[in-house]
Amino acid sequence: MMTRAGGRLLTVTGIDRPARDIVALHLADPAGGPLPEWEPGAHIDVQLITRHLRQYSLCGSPDDRTGYRIAVLRERLSRGASAYVHSYLDVGKKVRVWEPRNHFGLRPAERYVFLAAGVGITPILPMVMRAREAGVPWRLAYSVRTLEEAAFRDELAELGEAVTLRATGTGGRLDLGGFVGDLREGTGVYCCGSPGFVEAAEKAVAGWPEGSFHAERFVPVPRDFGPSEPFVAVCARSDVRVRVDAGVGLLAALRREGVRVAGGCLKGVCGSCAVTVLDGVPQHRDSLLGPGTLDRMHACVSRAATPEIVLDV
Amino acid sequence: MPWRTGHRRLGAAETRGLLGEPDPETRLKILDHLDRNCLTFIAHSPFCCMATADASGATDCTPRGDYPGFVRALDERTLLIPDRLGNKLGDSFSNIVENPHVGLLFFVPGVVETLRVNGRAYVTDDGDLRTMLEQDDVRPELATLVEVDEAYLHCGRSLLRSRLWEDDMRDLAQEIPSPGTFWADAAATEGLDAERLDRLFDDGYQELY
Ligand code: FES
Repeated sequence: MMTRAGGRLLTVTGIDRPARDIVALHLADPAGGPLPEWEPGAHIDVQLITRHLRQYSLCGSPDDRTGYRIAVLRERLSRGASAYVHSYLDVGKKVRVWEPRNHFGLRPAERYVFLAAGVGITPILPMVMRAREAGVPWRLAYSVRTLEEAAFRDELAELGEAVTLRATGTGGRLDLGGFVGDLREGTGVYCCGSPGFVEAAEKAVAGWPEGSFHAERFVPVPRDFGPSEPFVAVCARSDVRVRVDAGVGLLAALRREGVRVAGGCLKGVCGSCAVTVLDGVPQHRDSLLGPGTLDRMHACVSRAATPEIVLDV
Repeated sequence: MPWRTGHRRLGAAETRGLLGEPDPETRLKILDHLDRNCLTFIAHSPFCCMATADASGATDCTPRGDYPGFVRALDERTLLIPDRLGNKLGDSFSNIVENPHVGLLFFVPGVVETLRVNGRAYVTDDGDLRTMLEQDDVRPELATLVEVDEAYLHCGRSLLRSRLWEDDMRDLAQEIPSPGTFWADAAATEGLDAERLDRLFDDGYQELY
């Protein structure tokens, strides 16, 4: 447990309940100053007074520089943060927040298909608004178990026909293949939801050109990387060499030697632990970066493909 | 004659006579469940001590600590305590199996009052409960579920007198032998030297989950 360095304290200026089990938190600078800019798909790291650190997608308007909006689901098996937010966070309390980051940015396309399930609507909502403003054709399928679980229904209702809201409890599974339709060049598909939902969406766009499908995940993509090899991390700024044994993660090994690297999800899905690679080849084991990226890596789960890797830490 | 024997032993009536009677309000503040205030205390507490006893009544008291709110209140009568990495002696567990009664004392840094919670516990490996106790990507193997019988806020005089949370009291720490010294002296085994043991402790402390 630690109080992570940096970030800034924001005040909870409002709490509302966009769905039965979801609270939306409105956060603002206590002095009223503008907040860092962001683009649809971005998320922030939020550290509660309990020191729990979590990532939440921004679901307000990027044009509003005075406040952020995030949505927190009440999880039945909360590991602490969701239960705390739902039971104890009040208007006027503070949370620590870091600069928005975006691994799920909206790229230019001729048309968009948005797929969201449950609380996965949060990063999608600003994307929908952006597409609408830009006059790019879009459609949204939003799958929830029951209608009470559907968040931001008022906002979505104003968007009219292009939104398909499906309560799977009564209406049955959403036919994602049918909704996405046949392959059309120039379509960007953006998806956020449970691992099962993302997987089903991925199947629906099988055979589409590379780069048409984009997903935000809360749970790592299951993959097998084979055995872990030991390697040495050369920390250029702190001037130490850290041996990373086969059974230890890079982030853990660095921290052990007193090299401070921020951590978040520790599962390779949030990007909090990004470090710059100066030399050597990273072996990306996270769910964000592919083998093409040589200049940075996520230290929580990724390792080195070379016996040594030089990091700007 | 050793110091520990030979003194007058007081019975209940004599002890009560010397102690005096508590104010009737004091008893009133004892709850049979966790009210909103108790729940708030526990949700912000990073540390507690847990007392357990075996079938014969012989007791142990062990420290527990983690993220604030690490002891999870599932409802106003149920607490869930994770079993994190420790010395694996499992004294509390073997006690709880024999005798379910536990006493918990919760602390919040900077707060002089402490929260006392007494109840009956059992040990479980329930998957859902362990999932709720996952921390830093590690799920504990065991959890202790406590059914609450009594809860009350203990007054802050002992923490005020001891100045437990005051920074200037930290100079006491330098007078305490290192853990390796404790271990080496207690074990008194050839080849176990305090410095080496201290390094083992330091290494061990790197791994908290
Ligand atoms: S901590 Fe989230 S990607 Fe590494």
